[in-house]
Amino acid sequence: MMGATVGGGLAHVSGLSNLIQPAVAEELAARQKRVLIFFLAGGVSQLESWDPKPNTDTGGPFRAIPTSVPGIHISELLPLTAQQMHRLNLVRGVNTAEDDHGKGAVFMETGRRDSPAQRYPALGSVVSRLVAPPTMALPGYVHIQPGGGGVNKADAAFLGPKFASITIGNGQPPAYLLRPGDLTPAADQQRNDVRLKANQRFTARRRTAETEAYSASYEQARQLVERADVFDVTKEPPQDQERYGSHDFGRHCLLARRLLEQGLTCVKVTHTNYDSHSENFDFHIEQLGEFDRPFATLIDDLAQRGMLDSTLVVVMSEFGRTPNINHLFGRDHWSKAWSVALAGCGMQKGAVIGKTNDNGTAVVDREVDARNLFHTYLRALGVDSTANYPGLNRPIPIGDPAGDAIQELLA
Amino acid sequence: MPTVLSPAAPPSTAPLHEVIDERIGVALQAKGIAPAARASDAEFLRRIYLDLTGSIPTLGQAQAFLDDKSPVKRQQLVDRLLNSPEYARQTQRVFDVTLMERRPAKHVPQAQWEEYLRTSFAANKPWDVLVREIVAADGADANLRPAARFYLDRDGEPNLLARDVGRLFLGRDMQCAQCHDHPLVENYLQADYYGLLAFFNRSFVFTPKTEPKAVVFAEKAEGDVAFKSVFVDGAADQPARPHLPGEKEIDEPQFEKGQEYAVAPADGVRPVPQYSRRSQLPVLLPRGDNVAFRRNIANRLWALMIGRGLVHPLDMHHAGNPPSHPALLDLLGERIAAMGFDIKAFLRELALSETYQRSSELPPGVEALPPDSFAVAPLKPLTAEQLALAALQATGITDVQRAALGPALNEAALDEKLAGNIAPFVSIFAGPAAQPEQDFQATLEQTLFLSNGSVLRSWIAPQAGNLADRLNRINEAPAVAEHIYLCVLSRRPAAEEVVELTTFLQARAHDRPAAIQGWIWGLLASDEFRFNH
Repeated sequence: MMGATVGGGLAHVSGLSNLIQPAVAEELAARQKRVLIFFLAGGVSQLESWDPKPNTDTGGPFRAIPTSVPGIHISELLPLTAQQMHRLNLVRGVNTAEDDHGKGAVFMETGRRDSPAQRYPALGSVVSRLVAPPTMALPGYVHIQPGGGGVNKADAAFLGPKFASITIGNGQPPAYLLRPGDLTPAADQQRNDVRLKANQRFTARRRTAETEAYSASYEQARQLVERADVFDVTKEPPQDQERYGSHDFGRHCLLARRLLEQGLTCVKVTHTNYDSHSENFDFHIEQLGEFDRPFATLIDDLAQRGMLDSTLVVVMSEFGRTPNINHLFGRDHWSKAWSVALAGCGMQKGAVIGKTNDNGTAVVDREVDARNLFHTYLRALGVDSTANYPGLNRPIPIGDPAGDAIQELLA
Repeated sequence: MPTVLSPAAPPSTAPLHEVIDERIGVALQAKGIAPAARASDAEFLRRIYLDLTGSIPTLGQAQAFLDDKSPVKRQQLVDRLLNSPEYARQTQRVFDVTLMERRPAKHVPQAQWEEYLRTSFAANKPWDVLVREIVAADGADANLRPAARFYLDRDGEPNLLARDVGRLFLGRDMQCAQCHDHPLVENYLQADYYGLLAFFNRSFVFTPKTEPKAVVFAEKAEGDVAFKSVFVDGAADQPARPHLPGEKEIDEPQFEKGQEYAVAPADGVRPVPQYSRRSQLPVLLPRGDNVAFRRNIANRLWALMIGRGLVHPLDMHHAGNPPSHPALLDLLGERIAAMGFDIKAFLRELALSETYQRSSELPPGVEALPPDSFAVAPLKPLTAEQLALAALQATGITDVQRAALGPALNEAALDEKLAGNIAPFVSIFAGPAAQPEQDFQATLEQTLFLSNGSVLRSWIAPQAGNLADRLNRINEAPAVAEHIYLCVLSRRPAAEEVVELTTFLQARAHDRPAAIQGWIWGLLASDEFRFNH
């Protein structure tokens, strides 16, 4: 049975009432799956991270170091991450055959090749639609990134804007979350009572799914306004703020932990910028130097809190980087043979799937692409990715029918 | 496969709106459904203003209509609104979203496209003429350059054009037939998808070197499409020549090698083929005898007014998804073609029908009625633009702008004044760009925007001449109630609403202006305001 039926059933119930029995809520919380996506924008080098090839013509200057799993080595740029390897899996045979930033990102995030005639929803929106409890006050899909905030409706495609990502720009809370200063809670309550009274009269003989959905959105907004500090990372203990680091990415990872702990279903954290056409090695020292500690800390914290078993973690980019080192000491776009890391949610631990050749120029074993990964994410979440989306007025399969899950990753 | 028409309806000389009611009524009787009552004057008033002008009536317009004793006042109002400049602008907005799905403007400025649509609807350009202009346009003719936006701002991408021409002009979304015959829709054949694609596969967006901004939609003389099903291993490629779904392939003239071009391709030169595949489309598509074409527009206009298509979803016309009222849809298609695709005249007939004029209130004791029976008026969520315009009118901001324009007041000047206020609503309430309109969804961002955003709060706060300001000057609570309900909900308050508001204001006499603003917000945030009912 697909996980989506949980949401589908509840959506039906929520049409009548927003209140869930406490016991049901508890059971739901226990079954609640979450997703944490790290998007290393620009395209992280697999050779400087998950699939090092030291002492080869393509390997670059860095060593490979042992990890907490005997036999698995990763780049020395990720020393703390290496200690989490027994919780992670590496997919080293990714060949997405798409070297364009935009199209590569679409393929990786939607599990479908970019097509002008049909845009598919991104993983976070799919999770928001199929996995997030429909009655939750918190948004289903939050994206934390440096820079601006807003809502990215394109993410949701045909699922509709309700399942779009809400972007937390540089840690700022979502727009309009805070009650205006000149509106007292009492006045807010009074005006809300006027709305409710008017609705009661209007819907006495006009109640529809639409009026229910509209009313529910006010209740959700009211609850979220009361919980506005969910988005306030400064409420986390000072020692944790220190462990994650005072830079943006550290704060963003700590905010991700806070949101997941508060019950939010899908959080995506974007770290930039890995597009190292020149000075690839200096770039990766700097970027992965920033990435390593907060990432490893977050994996460790999720595991310590018992949340990793129910949280799918994915580290992806739009593609990898060329084995060939160009004359500017850079690496260019390379989608033929690169790596994705993933963890949690009942998947294998410490597994390496797929293999590239000695100098990393080609996949030699268990080649997969974004379609296989997309099916794998959803299967890990308990969703039958071969089914059609529920509730649409036309049949659209969740995962690309031309691909299937990486079975050996699924426990 | 040719479309099979239902048995011909007996010829009728009755006005179309009467025929509609007769057909819908027969079906209701057959199902034993008692329809909702006739909409009250106030219900009708708000509905027809929103549908035909995109906003709600002013206080004066509401009072005048509600107080009018004429038995033909509804018909008079329909005629007045259809001939108003607001009708042209509203229809422009509807078809902009339908045809371009809120894509960002790329090669044709949004304003030029809107003006092209608006003047077309103001002149009541027939639908077939409009579509012919759009599918014939290449962007080279300055007069019709805006019409080329349909092609140019889709970057001339053949698959996208095949899909959207199928969806928007023929009511068939054949996307799933791109890779194989549609698994669930037996009429949607891969051969038909590629037949549509073949009109476009030789076309491309050409950028002249001298004028990089003056891109045009050009065409080559060569290039064929072939397809094979992904479901059949080792399937051979099948060639496809241009044809409309279910029709025969077009015979194409053959030219000797070297003779295919009137203007041969060369670096920086726009090629012109002797024979243009794409130019066959405006000949074949927008025709009165093209059953799919006429049914599609009849169904879309029906859905626009009545809230749901006879075929639903609008782009899923196929045997497995039959119309709720097949003979009626046949007839509507025939009639709109016979009317010369006169959009205004067709909308007028829909508006005059009792089917359109039903109440949205279910009959007492009835829990629900099948939506495809058209027994009760459905609730239609206001579009982003309708919501903004209605809120501007309700709060009196539009009145303030009217007064400020003074003698310079006209529809265009007022629209220009209000445009900046509509933009934030569009960015928050419109669906994703390049996606068809969705079923209604209420997002957190939308509700937080209405609840805490400064835009709506600034409209509700008193400023000279707006609703709050006017209400602050009215002493008697019943008069306050009359004014506020007419302005916001386009109806007079019920007796108990007058009592409630009176009590509310008495209890907050110490802070009456804040109480009034709270009441305005409560009505603006209500279901009654959010939906066209």
